[in-house]
Amino acid sequence: MTGDDIDVRLAGVTKTFGAVAAVRDVSLEIPRGSIFSLLGPSGCGKTTTLRLIAGFEQPTQGQVYIRGRDVTDVPPYRRDFSIVFQSYALFPHLTVAENVGFGPRMRGVGRAVRGREVAEALALVKLAGYEARYPRELSGGQQQRVALARAIVVRPAVLLLDEPLGALDKMLREEMQVELRQLQQRLGITAVFVTHDQEEALTLSDHVAVMRDGRIEQVGAPRAIYERPDTEFVAGFLGASNFFDGVVVARDTAGAEIEVAGWRVRMADVTAAVGAQVRIAVRPERMRLGGPDAPGQPATVREIVYRGSTIHYYLDGAAGPILVHRQNAEPGAAELRPGDRVRCRWAPESGVVFAPK
Amino acid sequence: MTGRRELWRWGLVAPPLVISVALFVGPLAYLFYVSLHEVSPSELYGSWSLASYAAIAADPFYLLIIRRTLVTALAVLALALVIGYPVAYWIAKLPARARSLALLALLFPLMVSNVVRAYGWAAILGRRGVINTALGGLGLTDGPLGLLYSPEAVVLGLLTILLPYMVISIANVLASLDPRYAEAAQALGAGPIRTFIHVTLPLSAPGVASGLLLVFLLTLSAYVTIAVLGGPQSKLLVSLVYDSVVSFHWPQAAALAFTLLAIALAVSGAIMAVVRPGRVQGGRR
Repeated sequence: MTGDDIDVRLAGVTKTFGAVAAVRDVSLEIPRGSIFSLLGPSGCGKTTTLRLIAGFEQPTQGQVYIRGRDVTDVPPYRRDFSIVFQSYALFPHLTVAENVGFGPRMRGVGRAVRGREVAEALALVKLAGYEARYPRELSGGQQQRVALARAIVVRPAVLLLDEPLGALDKMLREEMQVELRQLQQRLGITAVFVTHDQEEALTLSDHVAVMRDGRIEQVGAPRAIYERPDTEFVAGFLGASNFFDGVVVARDTAGAEIEVAGWRVRMADVTAAVGAQVRIAVRPERMRLGGPDAPGQPATVREIVYRGSTIHYYLDGAAGPILVHRQNAEPGAAELRPGDRVRCRWAPESGVVFAPK
Repeated sequence: MTGRRELWRWGLVAPPLVISVALFVGPLAYLFYVSLHEVSPSELYGSWSLASYAAIAADPFYLLIIRRTLVTALAVLALALVIGYPVAYWIAKLPARARSLALLALLFPLMVSNVVRAYGWAAILGRRGVINTALGGLGLTDGPLGLLYSPEAVVLGLLTILLPYMVISIANVLASLDPRYAEAAQALGAGPIRTFIHVTLPLSAPGVASGLLLVFLLTLSAYVTIAVLGGPQSKLLVSLVYDSVVSFHWPQAAALAFTLLAIALAVSGAIMAVVRPGRVQGGRR
């Protein structure tokens, strides 16, 4: 990847508010035409990172580059980006057409060309014919589309999305996720997406950066981040994970044997030495359940939650509570009852082993 | 159930409703009734007549006073807006704590009586006032300047009293504006000035409108300041109402009061039509 393909680059960016560091030494590169998600719990610094790219905040240390240009000291209105807020921030005193035409107008685009650009942008978000309406006359979903049209009409180098779907209900949100993705790919826009919704980040992004306490914990493709989390935090934040503490008892080229609560389990890809304390993380959908005589760790079913397409089993195991997800259609999935004795296990490749801190 | 709830609701509204009908709407209607009669030397009013209104429309003196009242009020409005807006803008940008202190400080002068403040200005502007004494002492002027008893003195006096209303109205609206509006404008390429003109200023319309209305209506109803600083030469409409009342020309006073009310309604309507505060309502926060 050459530098020309990078639309946004942060180099060692730190931002402190008084004594509090909101962003600590963050470096990242966002390739052209991709969606990059900043994911993390509230207060992790993801929104501040976005505001640093926008120039609404000045970094205390480090550099911000947009399309290779150092914009660290450039005010927001001279940076090449646009933004969609969770609250949309549509100008209430302007019509839909005037809202969408605001960017072109500020950039000196003539009335005729502007009208065409506005019509095109509104067509892209399927709001043609709404030009003369005021934002207050639109539903939340429509306002969201206007905000998106207003942001893409200027063809920015980077589109910043600050939890743009947060105010929509679940159905509309999933619909907009797909539309947003299609629109972004059709226009080849580079987008930075801030969200605390891990499912949304996985669905929408080419790359996800999981943030915690102002630092980037892990960056990678959604699949890599989900399947092979680098840290316990990522494993726990991105989807659910079962954690088991154990000790490495034997090693070979294929992996290691780990003893968990008196029960031996094989794991692939273990770096820790024999005798080391480790923690295993296993996704609930990777857990396999068997009858009381099957191999695996013994456990008792405490609670069963029927979720439609999946069923969640809360088990009490020797090493602590265990969560198991099963597809509804899986054979035998519906037969268990609370109080049943079961065995659970997982394949050596389906968990991740963390060395102790 | 519904009936009882309905009763409760009326119960809550009843006291202010009764008070406002008995003490405001009723007297106002009676005042209007009085204004439609002749002045009588012995009674409150004489026989039916539109003479009082006709006198106002025909008499160049009244027209001059009406014009002066309007010019004074518009001057106060314009100055209050031009001076008040930047102050309000500055206050709105302060951190929350400093902002409430600043707004409190603005209220502080309102605790001093208008009478006291009017005489304070008289002491500054008078022939032997602070300014004339200083200028004369420095040899900059030959004789005392006629600063007091002028329309300018009235405007100055009213402005110092009414400015806080303008500042507080605008500052409150500006402070509650979602900063994302301005950020969205900046992202779209608007610099600070264009962001202000195209976004912040229109969005502050409700504050501007309420500030203008407050200042204008308080200007129309101010009396002490006008009497003390305007003197006999710079009378306004209120002064004429007062003069008519003290000379027992009740129908004339009533007709003037209704002229004042008509002006108040007309200008208020004009303010609402120009500033259009309603256009920013209903926007998502």
